[in-house]
Order: sequence, then structure tokens, then C-alpha cells
Amino acid sequence: MLTAYATLLCYLLGLWKRPALYLGLLTQISYIISRGLELERLPLVGPHDTLTFLSASIVAFSIAFRKPLNAYLYSHTVIAATAAVFTALALFSKQHNAPLPPVLKIIWFELHVVLAFLSYALFGLAAILGFLYLKEKDNLIEGLQYRSILIGYCFFSLSMIFGGIWAYLAWGTYWLWTPKELWTTILWIFYSMYLHARLRQEWMGRPSAIIGISGFAVVLFTYLGVSLLMKSSHAF
Amino acid sequence: MIKQAINFFISLKTAIWLLCLLIVMLLAGAVIMPANEEFQSIHSVPMLEWINEQPLGLTWWLWSSIGLLSLLTANTLFCSIDSIIKKRKVTQWLLILSPQIIHIGFLFILLAHLFSSAQGFKGYSAVAEGTALELKDKTILHIKNIRISFDNKGYLSDWAVDAEYIADGKTVKQDSIMPNKPSIYKGLGVYVKDLRAYPEKMVLLELSREPGAVWALIGGILFMIGTIMLIILKWKRDK
Repeated sequence: MLTAYATLLCYLLGLWKRPALYLGLLTQISYIISRGLELERLPLVGPHDTLTFLSASIVAFSIAFRKPLNAYLYSHTVIAATAAVFTALALFSKQHNAPLPPVLKIIWFELHVVLAFLSYALFGLAAILGFLYLKEKDNLIEGLQYRSILIGYCFFSLSMIFGGIWAYLAWGTYWLWTPKELWTTILWIFYSMYLHARLRQEWMGRPSAIIGISGFAVVLFTYLGVSLLMKSSHAF
Repeated sequence: MIKQAINFFISLKTAIWLLCLLIVMLLAGAVIMPANEEFQSIHSVPMLEWINEQPLGLTWWLWSSIGLLSLLTANTLFCSIDSIIKKRKVTQWLLILSPQIIHIGFLFILLAHLFSSAQGFKGYSAVAEGTALELKDKTILHIKNIRISFDNKGYLSDWAVDAEYIADGKTVKQDSIMPNKPSIYKGLGVYVKDLRAYPEKMVLLELSREPGAVWALIGGILFMIGTIMLIILKWKRDK
């Protein structure tokens, strides 16, 4: 847990100094690895581990965009703030240390969860890029937002497919009507709508940036809202 | 009038509006579903059978969604055909084709949901170790052995159910049902929903038929092939 607190401290320092942001990422990755070794499984069950993974993924993906983002000195501040918020939420969340039930010990489940959170991270990064675009009006930033969403959409779709394969093997059906699946559908259709809307000239720029930002609100409700507020067999 | 209808269905604007309306319907469902216990039984029978038995006050959003998806299906088909015809002479034809492969995958997934909603089957039975149950085709499913293991902290660590299928007095198949490994017999899937170790070993079996599963898998594979192709081609073009 000390490593987790050190990560939060690094991210808070990262609000001012970019190297602290990347140091925070390194400490967070080492924390994730240590959790995996301690639990002898992928540490991606429950709010603590998933929020930690999400935070690290957002920072990791931001590295791919660092060259164009370097032009905006405060961009690392926004990313550090986002990572710090998720890391802090993780620190206040209960760890799930019980072994996985037998039905969760399959590659399809692991791929399903990993890809879901990687996609959430890309959608989160897209929201950050959307805010930057609205402030700076740089078309390059809006283009990066589109790319982030497109790849996130690919990961999210794969996550849904792998989840369906796993569900079929585990429970005999590739689809269940639970709040989680319903909100997952809403999220998928939302980003499908974004990708189609952006093909039209009048939707590029500010409108698509706003849709991209709003999408992350849907992500957060699908991820956290459903798990915390609704009864579902599909919590976290 | 026909030309207007065609223009409506090949329009990207139509797709965007249909997707927006679909989101609104599903948001309504996201509020209605948790608030009504009738939805607890939605998985007990094929969905189309279930939806017909429920009051419209609870299911209007589902019916609307089905209607919107039907329009979206037509829109996708018309739009894809129109796109391929109009852009058939371009040099980067793979870039034109990949979104259409994505669309075909999407349509296969919708078809899968339609098949499962119309023709799926699900049944449950609690069976003790050493006892049997009769399937619809008169085959006997005999639960020979239930193996359950716990770790040193008392958590369920693994389980397996040994079963045999008996038809006309002869064993036609022996199988072991394990986590994520159901027993499949003549298209019928046998899954273990729950187990009990004490006072006697019992399993709650789910017998299910999911006719849309293969179509969903094909659709998913096509969708992903198209998406990955599109991302690679766009990346190459932007380089």
C-alpha cells in the first residue's frame, strides 16, 4: 500500500512537474505487478484494483500523445489530475483479496476485463483531449481525440465479444439483460454515434469534442455507477 | 416516394438520428428495468416470448428499440450498398470495404439476437449425485459424480460433474462438466449454475439452447476484422 500512496504523491507532484507524472506511472505499474504476485492472479477485480489499473492506463496512453501535447505546457497537469483522482478513489476503496471463483479462471474473462479498462482509459484520455481542444481550438488535438476514441472503441468492442464468448461458456448465453449489459450497450451505441457523426463536416470540431467529453460521463456511470448503485451480477 | 425512402435509408444523418433515439430508448429501459421485478424473469424464456407476455407499460422501450434496430438494419444495408456502388472505382478499395465488413458483422450480431430471442430455450433442474433427469428427447442424463474442492481458507477452488447420457438403455455419451466447460449434447448445453456439498451433493443444472450463438461469433469476428483493418489502413494513410 505504501507504493500506492507514493503513486498518489507522484501524481500530485506531476501537477507541476511532468517527470513526476511518469515516476507515478512507474510506481503504479510496480504496485499493480506486486498485487498480481501477491494474489497470484490478474489484479483486476473490485474497485481498488480496477481504479488503479484505469489510472495507470490513462497515463500510459498519454505517452503516445506526448509530442503534440508538449505544445501545451499544462496538458500534463490535466492528465496528472485525472490520474490522481482515480488513484485517490482506489486508495479509499476496499481491496478484493479473495481468490477468484472457478468460473472466472479463464483467458476470455481476463481479456474481457483488461480490454474493457484499456478502452475506458482511452475514452478518458479522449475526454481530456476534448477539453484541451475546446480551450486551444487546435484541430490536431481534435484529431487525436478521434484516434483515441477509435482505438478505444475497437478495444471496447473486442471486450464485449470476449465477454460474450466467456458468458456462453460459463452460463450458456452470450448476452444477459442486466443493468451492466444495458449500460454497456448504451456506451457502445454512444461511441458508434460519435464515430458516424464525425464523418459529417458540420459535426467535426467543437460538436464532436463535446460528444467525446460526454462519452466519458457514460463510461463512468457504466463502470462505477452501475456497480455501486444497482444490483447486478456483473459488478466491477 | 420510393426515391425519398431510398434517400432516407442511405443517409448518414438517418443513422445518427436512429442511434440517438436508440440511446434514449435504452436510457428509459435503464430506469424502468431495475424498478420493476417483472424483469427478473426476462431470462427464463426466449425474449420475444417474454416481451409478449408483459404489459406495454413496462416494455414500450424494448419494443421501440426493436423497431429502431429494424430501421437501423435497413439503413445499414442501404448505406453500405450505396457506398460500395458509389466508391467502387477508388484505388483504396480496402479502406472503403472495411467499414462495410464492420457493418456486416453488426448485422450478423443483430441476426443472432433475433434467433436467440425467438427460438432459445432454458430450463433448470436440481439433481443429486447418483440421480438422473429425463431430457425432452427421452434421453436420460445421469449425474454420476459431483467433485467439489475447497482451498485451505474454505473458498471453492474447483469442481467437476461427471455425467452420462443414456438412450435406449445404452450409454451414448460420457462427459465432465467443469467451470467454463459445459456438456453439449445434440445442440443442448448443460451448465452447472450452482453446487451444494452438504448434506448431500447436489447441482442446479441449466439446460439451454442458444441458436444465435454461432451467428454472434461470426458477427463478432467480422466486426473485429473490419475494425482492425480500418485502423491499420487509416494509420498507413495518415503516415
